[in-house]
Amino acid sequence: MGALIDALAPYAEFSRVGFVNILAFRLRYFTGIVTYSLNVTIYYFIWTAVYHNGQSIAGYNMSQMITYTCVGWIIRSFYSNTIDQEMAYEVIDGKIAMDLIKPVSVPWMWISRAMGESAFRLGLLTLPAALVITLVFPMQAPASRQDFGLFLLSTLGSFFLMAAIGFLIGTCAIPLKSILALVRAKQWLIELLSGLLLPMSFFPKPVAVAMAWLPFEHIAYTPLQIYLGKLDRAGALRALGAEWIWVVALLVLAHLWWNRSLRRLSIQGG
Amino acid sequence: MTDSSNPGPLIHVHDLCKHFRSFRRREGLLGSIQNLFIREYRTVAAVDRVSFSIEQGESVGYIGPNGAGKSTTIKMLTGILVPSSGDIRINGYVPHRQRREYVKTIGVVFGQRTQLWWDIAVIESFKLLRRIYGVSQRDFDARMERFNEVLNIGDYLYTPVRKLSLGERMRCDLAAALLHNPPLLFLDEPTIGLDVVAKDRIRRFLHAVNRDFRTTILLTTHDLDDIEELCRRIMIIDHGRVLYDGPLDRLKEQLLRTKQVKFVLKDAAHAARVAGFDRDGLELERVDEMTFRIRFDRHRVATSDLIRQILSAVDVRDLLIEDEPIEEIIKRIYAGEASLELSAK
Repeated sequence: MGALIDALAPYAEFSRVGFVNILAFRLRYFTGIVTYSLNVTIYYFIWTAVYHNGQSIAGYNMSQMITYTCVGWIIRSFYSNTIDQEMAYEVIDGKIAMDLIKPVSVPWMWISRAMGESAFRLGLLTLPAALVITLVFPMQAPASRQDFGLFLLSTLGSFFLMAAIGFLIGTCAIPLKSILALVRAKQWLIELLSGLLLPMSFFPKPVAVAMAWLPFEHIAYTPLQIYLGKLDRAGALRALGAEWIWVVALLVLAHLWWNRSLRRLSIQGG
Repeated sequence: MTDSSNPGPLIHVHDLCKHFRSFRRREGLLGSIQNLFIREYRTVAAVDRVSFSIEQGESVGYIGPNGAGKSTTIKMLTGILVPSSGDIRINGYVPHRQRREYVKTIGVVFGQRTQLWWDIAVIESFKLLRRIYGVSQRDFDARMERFNEVLNIGDYLYTPVRKLSLGERMRCDLAAALLHNPPLLFLDEPTIGLDVVAKDRIRRFLHAVNRDFRTTILLTTHDLDDIEELCRRIMIIDHGRVLYDGPLDRLKEQLLRTKQVKFVLKDAAHAARVAGFDRDGLELERVDEMTFRIRFDRHRVATSDLIRQILSAVDVRDLLIEDEPIEEIIKRIYAGEASLELSAK
């Protein structure tokens, strides 16, 4: 047990640095608040327009849809990260060398750092935003207390899915050098395929079926469905199980891809 | 120097190579379009069959012109880059294969970068490093106190790294690299861009570390004063290959070609007589009205003979004999003029 704590101590420290680091950028924090409020507001007006004749669409009525959007953006403020962008910069300017001279697992270093940042945002962005949004917009409460618990577990899974994907993309910077276009493409694709913008039931049937075999819909669609009580207990547990299996699979893949890419590393400058 | 219990060299490098594949861009519009689809690659050997050993406690200077392969070698030795071929064994480890265990036993400073976290206070970085290397609080406090004594870093421990001057940052980086008291220290251009005072402080610190803890030091530099003050042994590399590996003194002994005598006359009237020294094998230069400099090949002219001749020809107030600066020797090696002399060693 003591050995485990010693082994984890550096990573806890990376999280702390991630936390402290984000404090260094006040502007980014405030623009974050504005961006999230704007997004929720825009989608609120879009959905009220779409639902103006009062019918439900693809199994969602207006109140559910607005809740879906609000909760979706609230949890996005927690689970998202900028691992891929930061790694891209580190590879371009060669800073990645300084990570490699430290006796730590580089993948876990990045993920821990993102964890610290997410913990920061949870306290100073996600929770305040949740409070404001519940007061301003007509949002439903979670379907049940148990559902809310499963929803939290699923949202934690979303963090790890996003961290593993971010690290996978970030590692591409080693063979590809410039990945900023890839990073941007990933961001839009995730927004769409995670179900943040539209529930998967809005997609054409074959697409929705195909998506069920991929990890992306677990990022937003799974926790949001659980929140709204759209899944029975067995269905919710099944979705949650599938999500965490993806978490493990992507983390393993991230490690393999990283170890493989290291062989191709060249350090620019100096 | 080495005792009988020594199990062999600390660093052992054999036939080390690193090839980079670089993409050759074609010129012009048509070329750019071609580049999109067909890429032409070229393999460049940044490090080419390099072999050497370093014993514990040595302090070795690794020099060479820009692009010679110094940094690439250091990056392979520190486990950052994977060699294309060849063997590296350091303290029983193969760096790139056992990276996480291995890097606990080394300290690394890259003069062009920092291993500290840019946006947070220096002390936060140190705390993080303490955790990473599992240094006890007591050792940490003791070492910080020592670093502070010699490097004077106490004043800006609470400043973010990005606000430090280059010299301050470098001192913090040195402290960071030595926080876990590693037996081996790699320095890649540790004095680059520093002023004279800062350079001197860093050299004195490194000298003390090497002397007091028998810390093995391998450093690359372009400043030969670093080498003269810190290293008894140097390795010269160019185009990825080692050109010289041995004591600095022997390099001087072998390659020192010219010496110079500088003298100041007592009486300006004697200046005309100095013209007699403008003869074969001597290169005469008038520095100012009273001062002359004669450069000569030390293999062809005995210094003592020349001095005797000068003293008998003119009245001299002051006289100075100088070796060719080490920079000149190195310049000749880089330019390829001295390679023959070396290979004949």
